[in-house]
Amino acid sequence: MRKSRPRPNHMSMNQLQGKIALVTGASKGLGRAIGLAFARDGAALALCARGEVPLEAMAAECRGLGADVLAVTADVADPADRERLISHTLARFGRIDVLVNNASTLGPTPLPLLADTDPEAFEEVVRVNLIAPFLLARSVIGGMLLRGSGAVINLSSDAAVNGYPGWGGYSAAKAGLDAVSRVWSAELAESGVTVVSVDPGDMDTEMHRAALPEDDPTALARPEDVAPAFVRLALGGAPAARVEAKDLLEEAAR
Amino acid sequence: MAVGTDFPPLPAALRASRPSERRGVRRDQVRLLVVDRQAEAVRHSRFDRLGDFLGAGDMLVVNSSRVLPAAVRAVRASGQLVQLRPCVRRAGSWDALAVEPGPPFENVPLTEGETLRMGEVAVRVVGRRWDIPLLWQLRIDSGDDLDAILRHGEPIRYSYVPEPLPLDAYQTVYASRPGSAEAPSAGRPLTWELLARLRRLGVGLAEVVLHTGLSSFQDDDFDAEHHLFEEWFEVSRETACAVSGARRVVAVGTTVVRALETAASWEGRVLPAQGWTRLAIGPDRPPRAVDALLTGLHEPQASHFGLLRGFVGESLLRRAYAEAVERGYLWHEFGDSALII
Repeated sequence: MRKSRPRPNHMSMNQLQGKIALVTGASKGLGRAIGLAFARDGAALALCARGEVPLEAMAAECRGLGADVLAVTADVADPADRERLISHTLARFGRIDVLVNNASTLGPTPLPLLADTDPEAFEEVVRVNLIAPFLLARSVIGGMLLRGSGAVINLSSDAAVNGYPGWGGYSAAKAGLDAVSRVWSAELAESGVTVVSVDPGDMDTEMHRAALPEDDPTALARPEDVAPAFVRLALGGAPAARVEAKDLLEEAAR
Repeated sequence: MAVGTDFPPLPAALRASRPSERRGVRRDQVRLLVVDRQAEAVRHSRFDRLGDFLGAGDMLVVNSSRVLPAAVRAVRASGQLVQLRPCVRRAGSWDALAVEPGPPFENVPLTEGETLRMGEVAVRVVGRRWDIPLLWQLRIDSGDDLDAILRHGEPIRYSYVPEPLPLDAYQTVYASRPGSAEAPSAGRPLTWELLARLRRLGVGLAEVVLHTGLSSFQDDDFDAEHHLFEEWFEVSRETACAVSGARRVVAVGTTVVRALETAASWEGRVLPAQGWTRLAIGPDRPPRAVDALLTGLHEPQASHFGLLRGFVGESLLRRAYAEAVERGYLWHEFGDSALII
């Protein structure tokens, strides 16, 4: 997979002051880094992850940065959990300005070839990586459209556009999510609501280590280096329905 | 007040038992009964042709309250299962109906002082409401009551809906802040496709929040007495402004009428407001701020008809009802719609 190391950028400009952001998969990896970047930039946060202990630790860290935080332990693939997540967030903050669909699963590792992929594992990957982000976005976009503003950020991957052996289920789901972003983006043009798919590039995360244990982590970008790109997207500044984080960061650095 | 008791009863077959999309009809393609007060005419159209009757300068006001799964499983100290239906939710307390956990959902008498559990949340019965004795006053002793509803609840369902449905079937496409016990269903047929089309025609869109209580206390005689209870509402500054500049204010549902009229001054000027409302609109208190109403069809015996009389004279209302029945319009939250202009 592609290697790139964007420049770090920890500048905080409080651009997200007054914004309410919901981040899924927020207790580790890129979700955690995005949550922290949003907290530094003044956003109020609803954070979601399956594990209560790491989620509470993350919430405490964000509160330490001055953010108003709601932590909801939930599995985005579970319909009742999704409703609980959305309802708690809306009950607490009244609205959702930014949704970051970051929670994702690789499926079983080591990654099997498609012909060896267990059907249930394939379905599970599609449920978590495609159906859950679509339905979460569908739950919040109505409120965004009523107010005429909002941003939905779907985490994609270069696996959505390339045929990497072993990445079948993940690729299919992320490609589907890209399609959702593309169509929604076209449907919502001029509405004030943006939907974007972001390829964050390769990063040193737990998921990356599970997928590609042979990769040298020191050659990879760190999630906190990539996260600042998401502040711009949260403000609705997506230049296209699918973007690469490194392009946003390079553009910001110029 | 006995409302509409002399109307011919609604044939049971006209009670919509499932969402339109499960009958093969898009949400926004249910039928639309148009009651034109000026022309004293009743017309028949389709919901997605709403644009034929609205135009530039009209302001469509929706209720963006999100429905809760407000039929909540609870366990009594004896181990008996009951269903609690919170009608009025305040911080730390509920006024709730207690019914059996399955059809026909008969009322269950609770005991003052007893504790019920909904998972980790404990509620204590502290009394009954003096004005609506079927509502039990419950104190939340411990835990997050919203979480209990979301974890242990399902949508409130009446006998004409035989199968349980997912919560999503009850939500409007713009549902936002959670708090309604029952769906503000007048807006259910609205789709974003239709709303975008109306916007292109110059029709504005604004929101209020009114968290609905219960439409039935599971007791026909008691329901016939039309007990009035309070509902929480909010009209924002933006909405008050939008409504003030409108040519016509079109309320989507009686909940919107209630919220806007509560926030309206004597002259009909809508001001930002929030709080609890017990306002009843009817012939004695006609609307001052709302000019037109988009609504679902509900039983002539329901208090809903009392509100309709605030908009429409008796003979035209009777004619509209008779035509709707004759043409087989479907009733209730999954049924057809009516526009009173």
